Amino acid sequence: MENGSVKWKVKGKQQLNSASAVTVRAVRDAIMSKVSPTDERPIIPLGHGDPSHFPSFRTTCTAEEAIVDAVRSAKFHCYSSSVGILPARRAVAEYLSKDLPYRLSPDDVYMTIGCTQAIEIMLAVLSNPGANVLLPRPGYPYYEARAAFEHLEVRHFDLLPEKGWEVDLDSVEAIADENTVAMFIVNPGNPCGCVYTYEHLEKVAKLAKKLGIMVMADEVYDHLTFGNTPFVPMGVFGTIVPVVTVGSISKRWIVPGWRIGWLVTNDPKGILRKSGIIDCIVGYLNVSADPVTFVQGALPQILEKTKEDFFSKINGVMKEAANICYDRFKEIPYIDCPYKPEGSMFVMVKINLSLLEDIDNDMDFCLKVAKEESVIILPGCAVGMSNWLRITFAIEPSSLEDGLARIKAFCERHSKMQ
Amino acid sequence: MENGEKNFNVRGNEKLIGSSDTAIRGVLALLKDNVDQSMQKPMIVLGHGDPTSFSGFRTTQVAEEAVIEALKSAQYNCYAPTVGLLSARGAVAEYLSRDLPYKLSSTNVHITSGCAHAIEIILMVLARPGANILLPKPGFPYYDARAEFSEIEIRHYDLISDRGWEINLDQVEALADDNTAAMVVINPGNPCGSVYSYQHLEQVAMTAQLLGIPIIADEVYDHLTFGSNPFVPMGVFASLAPVFTLGSISKRWLAPGWRLGWLAICDPARNFQGNTIDDCIKGCFNIVSGPPTFIQGAIPQILENTREEFFSDINAKLKECAGIAYSKIQEIPWLTCPLKPEGSMFLMVRLNLGMFEDVADDMDFCLKLAREEALILLPGFVMGMKNWLRITFAAELSALQDGIGRIKSFCVRHSLAAAH
Repeated sequence: MENGSVKWKVKGKQQLNSASAVTVRAVRDAIMSKVSPTDERPIIPLGHGDPSHFPSFRTTCTAEEAIVDAVRSAKFHCYSSSVGILPARRAVAEYLSKDLPYRLSPDDVYMTIGCTQAIEIMLAVLSNPGANVLLPRPGYPYYEARAAFEHLEVRHFDLLPEKGWEVDLDSVEAIADENTVAMFIVNPGNPCGCVYTYEHLEKVAKLAKKLGIMVMADEVYDHLTFGNTPFVPMGVFGTIVPVVTVGSISKRWIVPGWRIGWLVTNDPKGILRKSGIIDCIVGYLNVSADPVTFVQGALPQILEKTKEDFFSKINGVMKEAANICYDRFKEIPYIDCPYKPEGSMFVMVKINLSLLEDIDNDMDFCLKVAKEESVIILPGCAVGMSNWLRITFAIEPSSLEDGLARIKAFCERHSKMQ
Repeated sequence: MENGEKNFNVRGNEKLIGSSDTAIRGVLALLKDNVDQSMQKPMIVLGHGDPTSFSGFRTTQVAEEAVIEALKSAQYNCYAPTVGLLSARGAVAEYLSRDLPYKLSSTNVHITSGCAHAIEIILMVLARPGANILLPKPGFPYYDARAEFSEIEIRHYDLISDRGWEINLDQVEALADDNTAAMVVINPGNPCGSVYSYQHLEQVAMTAQLLGIPIIADEVYDHLTFGSNPFVPMGVFASLAPVFTLGSISKRWLAPGWRLGWLAICDPARNFQGNTIDDCIKGCFNIVSGPPTFIQGAIPQILENTREEFFSDINAKLKECAGIAYSKIQEIPWLTCPLKPEGSMFLMVRLNLGMFEDVADDMDFCLKLAREEALILLPGFVMGMKNWLRITFAAELSALQDGIGRIKSFCVRHSLAAAH
């Protein structure tokens, strides 16, 4: 640029930087960068939510064929409508209704670009000046990142590790006020690996009703359960309190890269419609990006034709991995695993910092274990619990054993008890 | 509600209600609802930019097979990096660089869910407090909707109908001020069907340079040209003024449902150096959802292996359609079409309302046309030009001819002369 010429008046929106810095991806990238390039061992990824690379977690060919059929039919090269194409919405309504005491209609279903966009929509829709929403801690930081972007105030309620990570209902009541519009739950739980009982979810519903707020249920890990507690969708309590469920095929079918999800209103009493929330959802969808039409087109086949043995196979691998995780941590005195995971892909464990030399906190632990052992773990501070760790066990069981052994070695090397 | 029970404190974000009343999809839906269902005539839609319902407008098998191959490889079931798969970014950089006097690198390219998503992102990024943006009129209303959503003040500049819909650059200069974040240029033009000359684009770039603002170049109809002006990407002038190029495979590959687009930063003179724009763009991508990984994985093959014949076939069809549409419309005195389209899929016609007995305006025309003739056209007010119409010529020739025939019948029937 020549002297004296124009100054470019281009400045970016600053808050985009800060909003995104807290995402899981950003923290994990920071940790990944510490891995030593000279370590010849394979990196053990215990920090992700995406096992699709591992052979034990390959999706079913039923799903792949459904996409191929949809592409080759040439019927889905066109634009979708902003709420999603009817066959997809109908298929999702039928799929979810199987576990509900009432029937969802296709009009209750909105197709989204993964569960991620469904979350985006709900936070935008709930954002009003002065409003606040209640989020679980520990939780999934994308909620905080998007809420910050929407200028929506968040307040955190605790999940209780000593009670299987159940919602601390007293803390919910304590932080709610007349500006609270919703509480969010994640079940099966990320990051805790818990699966809530019918009784607990009913208590949550009744509390929400008492407070006059709706419940947003993130069920992206629906049916990924392998313990004693079965999966109960929050929508079961839709007659007590209006429930919006967000979900996708990303986790159950191990295809997060396909970017197809849904936002569903479980609201047999029509409260959400009367409140105008539905109009807002549709309004937002009308001005935002749509999921790929042919992936929507493939959804009926995917949801209806996938065989049960695919699901049981995946849950079987998860169960094995969860057991390995829990058993190995019992052998590592430096790390405490209070709750054997029953669902999702994660478990929260606590670091006994007092037993470790020269490890300041969870982030420090993760940075050092990445550098020294090429193991990637998500520090608990990324999900709202410092000095804890979130461990992903959805990887090849043999790799998991390797990773846990390396964590043990790391702890022993840094032990105060030399 | 029983005694003592609280009312549910559920209220939606008021900004979102009615945010789309004037958007294309909303208006088309309204018009379709107005079609008399009992009519024998099949409905003809010449209101949108999606000809894929017509068999003559199917994407190339190369693209379909590329996507299927990527899917079956099982290498792409995972999340993609937020700014897009590196191979896709590189392929798009390569593809765009073919028409530029410099080379874009993969770091200059971000993959988005269609061009619409690229619009969303660039406006999110530029939406600093107090910012305003210059949009063409007539234009593409998604820009207005998203600018409003991001709380950017909108200022419209005119396209001049009797100068091939060229940009009124004097007006652009008058509208810009210190808070102007960018100007949007759509070329080839939607809704006008114009293709700007090299000279005009250069003047646009010089104006932007004078004003110190970047250009958002919407080139979603890139290469869909069939007149005397070839397509010249705005990026050719990026050393004068930085350009954000928005594009996708939706139009040129006839696959709008695949939602695969890009946002490219053309800044060979490095005017953005030391600027926060890049970080903001990355920050934005960290909090939004991207396109399916396997479609991104197929992009190199799609961009590199599609045969030239596919493109020339489509352009030939569009040329034929545009020519027929234009000449038939010339035979309808109730409509005036100032420019024979040279690109994109649309043309704009003015309604000569004085010649009608009982047509109040463009929306009234379109509603009645839908009801009586089962024909859907887009009323111009949606694009900022009341009492104009946008007609899509990208259709099966028979449907196009039928449709324009129906316009003529309608006009005759509602003509002032007919009342006597």
